[in-house]
Amino acid sequence: MTFRQFAYRNVARNKRKYAAYFVSSAFSVMVFFLCALFIFHPDIARDTILSTAANTMMVAEGIIFVFSSLFMLVSVGSFLQSRKLEFSVLLMHGMTKGQLNKMVFLENMLIGSSAILTGTVLGLLLGKLFLMIGAEFLGIAPLKFYFSWQAPLLTVSSFALLFVLISLCTFAFIGRESPRGLFQSGRKAEQEPRVSPLLAVVSALLLLGGYGLAASATAASVEMVMFPVVAITVAGTYLFYTQLSLYIVKLLRGMRRFYWHKTHMIMLSGLSHRWKDNGRMFFMVTIVSAVSFTSVGVFASIHTLSRELKLDYPAAVGYVAKGSQAGYNAEGDLRGIRDELERLGLPYETLSIPVKYAEVKSQTGPDRTRQLPLMAYSDYKLALQHAGFISHEQPLQGNEGLVMIGSQRDRSLTWGRIKAVYTLEQGTEIAETGYTEHVPIAEYLLPELDGRDGGDFSGVVVSDSLFHSIIPAQIDYYTGFYVDDFPQTSGIAGTLADKGKVAYERDSPYAVVVSGTLFEIQKTLYSTMLFASLLVGTVFFIAAGSFLYFRLYTDLDHDRLQYSTLSKMGLTDQELDRSLTLQLALMFFVPVGIAIMHSLFAFIALQRLFYLSIAAETGAVLAGYLAAQGLYFILIRGRYLRNLKKNLI
Amino acid sequence: MPLLDVHNLSKIYEGKVSIHALNHIRFAVEKGEFVGIMGPSGSGKTTLLNVIATIDEPTSGEVMIGGRDPNKLGRKDKALFRRKELGFVFQQYNLLDTLTVEENIVLPLTLAGVSVAEMESRLKEAALRLEITPLLSKRTYELSGGQMQRVAIARAMIHRPSLILADEPTGSLDSKAAGEVMNLLAEVNEAEGATVLMVTHDAVAASFCHRVIFIKDGRFYSEMYRGSSRAAFFQNIIDMLSLLGGATHDLSPVRL
Repeated sequence: MTFRQFAYRNVARNKRKYAAYFVSSAFSVMVFFLCALFIFHPDIARDTILSTAANTMMVAEGIIFVFSSLFMLVSVGSFLQSRKLEFSVLLMHGMTKGQLNKMVFLENMLIGSSAILTGTVLGLLLGKLFLMIGAEFLGIAPLKFYFSWQAPLLTVSSFALLFVLISLCTFAFIGRESPRGLFQSGRKAEQEPRVSPLLAVVSALLLLGGYGLAASATAASVEMVMFPVVAITVAGTYLFYTQLSLYIVKLLRGMRRFYWHKTHMIMLSGLSHRWKDNGRMFFMVTIVSAVSFTSVGVFASIHTLSRELKLDYPAAVGYVAKGSQAGYNAEGDLRGIRDELERLGLPYETLSIPVKYAEVKSQTGPDRTRQLPLMAYSDYKLALQHAGFISHEQPLQGNEGLVMIGSQRDRSLTWGRIKAVYTLEQGTEIAETGYTEHVPIAEYLLPELDGRDGGDFSGVVVSDSLFHSIIPAQIDYYTGFYVDDFPQTSGIAGTLADKGKVAYERDSPYAVVVSGTLFEIQKTLYSTMLFASLLVGTVFFIAAGSFLYFRLYTDLDHDRLQYSTLSKMGLTDQELDRSLTLQLALMFFVPVGIAIMHSLFAFIALQRLFYLSIAAETGAVLAGYLAAQGLYFILIRGRYLRNLKKNLI
Repeated sequence: MPLLDVHNLSKIYEGKVSIHALNHIRFAVEKGEFVGIMGPSGSGKTTLLNVIATIDEPTSGEVMIGGRDPNKLGRKDKALFRRKELGFVFQQYNLLDTLTVEENIVLPLTLAGVSVAEMESRLKEAALRLEITPLLSKRTYELSGGQMQRVAIARAMIHRPSLILADEPTGSLDSKAAGEVMNLLAEVNEAEGATVLMVTHDAVAASFCHRVIFIKDGRFYSEMYRGSSRAAFFQNIIDMLSLLGGATHDLSPVRL
């Protein structure tokens, strides 16, 4: 037996131990390779809209790579930990440190290279299918199978580098321990974990605080509290696994009436034994799952996007000819749009509204508006009517004005805003009394009211008589083309605006918004993100599962001894099954349950930013994940029980 | 009626070469007796114990414990039978390292669903008898071998089983700890009236029994009663062992 054969046999005869690690690594390689195929596909790389999709996929590649390296590092560390006794036997028999390092290095590279090979070959086999699914997701024509040389090169070289680095890290893990130290490490295992009630309480407070902040966040504060909330929740989760959960078990163990009853003792003690070893892993699984739930849930809400866009872009194509640019032939642009709509055979209605700009002398409130866009109440009503919105607003009186909201999602910002009173140069006063119920003119077509970036209110609606009395500094003409099926307008007015919009602030004689094109771009972006986050989520899922599998496998001998003793003492099969099933179920579902809690609260906070409900999509994602986890649980539980009972009486 | 009645018990392990591990063994143990089983390696001692413990099934013959044949029961009822009627002491102690000492001891009672007050009083009693009261709140990895075996004996007797089965209880102990453990086991047998059946290699341990049964090649070979003197009994056991011709390691080093 040569040294290389020895290393090979160490791995090959321990297949079951490395199986999950291998599968999970190969899966990561495969997904990485598939993403690379997608990114380097010529049809994707050339298209302007789709190239943003490629960028998103690139980010996904990065995440997969970073996560894989973390996962592998932790896995390899625990493999080595579980082999300490074997190493000390080898050292006792005269193996040098160098040889030991070489052996471990060879073993790791063996697993690594076969994982790379398997992943790449599987990726090649599934490449076409993946490109089809990807195209379906993005709603584009099916992509041809194209084998670019960059994809395998990137995959193989980055993972080969990763495996080499990980294998080199093992030298540090093995360290300078003497054979004696290695021998002892196997025995001292069962230490009582140190649990402090103070930290347990801190954990509960952190979690509750994080949830409370997330639930009470308003649209204005979401962005501000986001990072503290995430930090608080992450810290709380860590303490939950390392302190609070163990403390709860400790309290339960203190209650003899409960703990000294039937199989509770076996169940709880077994649980706390597993829990304490796996706390950090559970923490990782929870955070990673929470992040992927949240992102998948958010990106799965594309369907609400079209409804939202319909509310925010009342006219499929909105065009504003700026009054300041006198000589410009706006009529030509409008005719062009009309021609395009007719060529596409889309029935449409048009509406033209004048928007007067009044010079403002002074205003109350913190902002300083120089020119105030004004719209007549009857025009406002007309705009709503064309858009098919129903409103119950009463006609305006005197100098009352309604602030136009730029989009429905900004409605939540109205709480934090102080209503201003404007004094115009001509002496008239206009007082903001409220906000419009609907969006009459899309965002970007009027200047921002509050004179700062991200001020989201477009102008003021005033009564007809007030409107007529205004001496305008400038009059813009808004023209809306109302089309029922707005996504059809994608690509219209491409010469005026290539990415679907020219904002008012831009230095051009017009402002234009094409909701169809905007929808198309957003949809592509969201679909790619959904696609990418589903992929990354699957990689996470598989990796988390392999962690659990490995932990259970390492504990198998210990558990076998325990349960064979118990079954000699008269533990029935049902009791054994029930006790183990409950333990495994808690290990499988507590991290997922907490991740779901986390993401639910994240969704509650995100609801402030998304105007429409995303509950249905989110529910579907969570249910899907739970189903997958349930399936995995049943599979692992069956295998584990079968293995455990193998030499039980 | 004897408490344990082993009647024409045979056990054949099927395989390429079938092994006749037990061959028509018959003996009986009365209530309150302390019986040792000895024999050279491979004589079927452990198989015999396993069959009596309902862990293994006999090929033919029967085992009656308290007038019942547990091997006729179903799997679940067998487990319940072991839980109620049998106590186990193992060579490797087999304490659960996830539990504290007291939890290990009361384990059989918790499985049976006894009230906490009852468990506490019995725990106190058993701990006093086995001199392990100061150890009760410790974890098992803090104990020495002798202490662990005493805990295991407490666990085996706390539910007052009709029969305590001990498999090489001194096998992993040094001679001083072995002597202490055997003294305590004999005391439990004496004071509680517990019936004990012990498989052992150790002539010193066997000399604590009332009677020792010798088996060889799966057959009953002979049996020996202790008279008044334990020292004389010990000598007789040693003589019998050399007659049986087991491997030298079966003999106590005292003799060599």
